[in-house]
Amino acid sequence: MTAPAITAEHLARAFGPTKALVDVSLDVAAGSVCALLGRNGAGKTTTVRILTTLLPAEGGRAQVAGFDVASQAALVRTRIGVTGQTATMDELLTGAENLETIGRFCHLGAAISRRRTGELLEQFDLVGASRQLVKRYSGGMRRRLDLAASLIHHPEVLFLDEPTTGLDPVGRAEMWTSIRSLVSGGTTVLLTTQYLDEADRLADTIVVIDRGLVVAEGTPEQLKASIGRPFIRVTLTEADPAALEQVGRLLGEGAEVSGRSVSAPASDGLASLDQVVVWLRDLGVPVHEVGLEHPSLDEVFSTVTDHSHHPGVHSASAGGRGA
Amino acid sequence: MSDTAVRAERQLRDGLLDAYTATRRFLIRGKRQPDVIFGTLLMPVMFVVLFGYVFGSSIAVPGGNYRSYLMPGLFAMSVLFSAANVAVAVATDMSEGVVDRFRTLPIARSAIIIGRSLSTLLLGIPVLVVMIACGLAVGWRPVDGLGNAILAFLLFELFGVAIGWLGILVGLLAGSAQAADVIINIPIFLLGFISSVFVDPANMPAWLRVIAYWNPMSALVTAGRQLFGNTIGPPPSGVWSLEHPIATTFALAMVIIIVVAPICVHRYSHSIR
Ligand SMILES: Nc1ncnc2c1ncn2[C@@H]1O[C@H](COP(=O)(O)OP(=O)(O)OP(=O)(O)O)[C@@H](O)[C@H]1O
Ligand SMILES: [Mg+2]
Repeated sequence: MTAPAITAEHLARAFGPTKALVDVSLDVAAGSVCALLGRNGAGKTTTVRILTTLLPAEGGRAQVAGFDVASQAALVRTRIGVTGQTATMDELLTGAENLETIGRFCHLGAAISRRRTGELLEQFDLVGASRQLVKRYSGGMRRRLDLAASLIHHPEVLFLDEPTTGLDPVGRAEMWTSIRSLVSGGTTVLLTTQYLDEADRLADTIVVIDRGLVVAEGTPEQLKASIGRPFIRVTLTEADPAALEQVGRLLGEGAEVSGRSVSAPASDGLASLDQVVVWLRDLGVPVHEVGLEHPSLDEVFSTVTDHSHHPGVHSASAGGRGA
Repeated sequence: MSDTAVRAERQLRDGLLDAYTATRRFLIRGKRQPDVIFGTLLMPVMFVVLFGYVFGSSIAVPGGNYRSYLMPGLFAMSVLFSAANVAVAVATDMSEGVVDRFRTLPIARSAIIIGRSLSTLLLGIPVLVVMIACGLAVGWRPVDGLGNAILAFLLFELFGVAIGWLGILVGLLAGSAQAADVIINIPIFLLGFISSVFVDPANMPAWLRVIAYWNPMSALVTAGRQLFGNTIGPPPSGVWSLEHPIATTFALAMVIIIVVAPICVHRYSHSIR
């Protein structure tokens, strides 16, 4: 196990009466990707802001690239790249001018800043727009420029706050490719996301936070195993109680009826599905659809957080856009 | 020992480079806002017409030409208005995401706002040139030699930098650009108009006259009038700041810069969005 590039111990932060972070601890090994997963308002951005020296924590401590974020902020800043949730590019400058300015601020010098600017514009497919003012950029172009800007000085540790929010499917896939190639180059990445599949695809470890607390953590496999096994859902063509009951019996233990569908845990994944399809054919009820489903983010949250005291939270959409 | 010396030298060099980069950035931004440039250039011309001719026709100054009396006042006003602009610009900057970007970069803490101050000074030069041209066109002349005239402009610019820092402070403290606009304009109008910028305070009611005489803006324009050779009559007796207007203006500007600039730096680096 390599030395951690990020360690946070018991971070806490409140904004007036709002407890944004109650107790968040995490370790990210050098060269790995950690996804911070949580709903709107979970405390993802607050965590990132503390780790990137933008916001002082009120409790706990954190080290990034071996330096304390509070007492050695200046050193931390020389090692990190940050792409925040909101755009941080200067609207009145061109893409190239923005990158070059940031390169100079990283003390790369004029010549190297210019060279890196060229490379990054190339890498992020922005060469054509390099002389355009950023205020004329599309959302996706801004996002790419922002990421490019955080890479100009080859940071050891990269923070990405919801890097794919607001991107179209193609842009999202490209962002994932960029992140993967960075990681293969040795960069440590902490990214936040509201999407389980994104965390699943990119991350070596996932930390689920909710209302300022870590509620689950582990590798994607560990989480999936502990949080929710896949389940089989059988949907009939109509809500016939007798047929639904038959199907329920057939699916066995844990079967639940809702509307015109029945679902039950699939202990053997695909093998269970095969078996169920055969049984259903024998049973002869009119089936609309049969499928193997994975728990959605909503269900993950229902499992890992006890929101019974906050009934409103259950209905909140987990796939919403960040503020 | 030599290690710390090397580090200190490096820090200083990086700090200067950062300030340069920040200034450069603000100048590019300034260039990209032609409407703002146009506005700041139009303002002085408007003032020359408005005060030089509209009001000026009814204002008599003893033994002199009102427009010659007015021009140093307008130079002072343009300096004052640029402080208002800078307050609004800083408040706008602080509300934009780019502040967060800067604060995650290894930039010297003071660089961004020093860049703001320097770029304001530089962007003010074309405005000053237009005002000088307007003044010359309406008959104003610096009659005390080129050396003194240059000294006068340096004094105006120094004072401009000083109240520019006050403007930056207001911009940093205000919650929004609109708030900054309102907060800064009240003192600016009071400072500008309860003074000897536009009229001789001798005819004001006693209580107002005292304020007008001791107003630093009066010291600034009196210094300007003295160095341009546009003075009318002796200064009111007993008002030290008007008897020594150059020293007063210089000292006040230096004190403001020395006190306010570090407060701004501290405030900027501790501001949380
Ligand atoms: N500057 C601030 N002032 C007041 N409250 C804040 C501030 N920043 C965050 N909060 C509050 O702290 C909580 C956590 O916010 P945070 O931005 O960390 O959430 P998030 O997980 O990033 O959410 P999202 O997915 O919407 O981006 C929220 O309740 C938010 O309203
Ligand atoms: Mg957020």
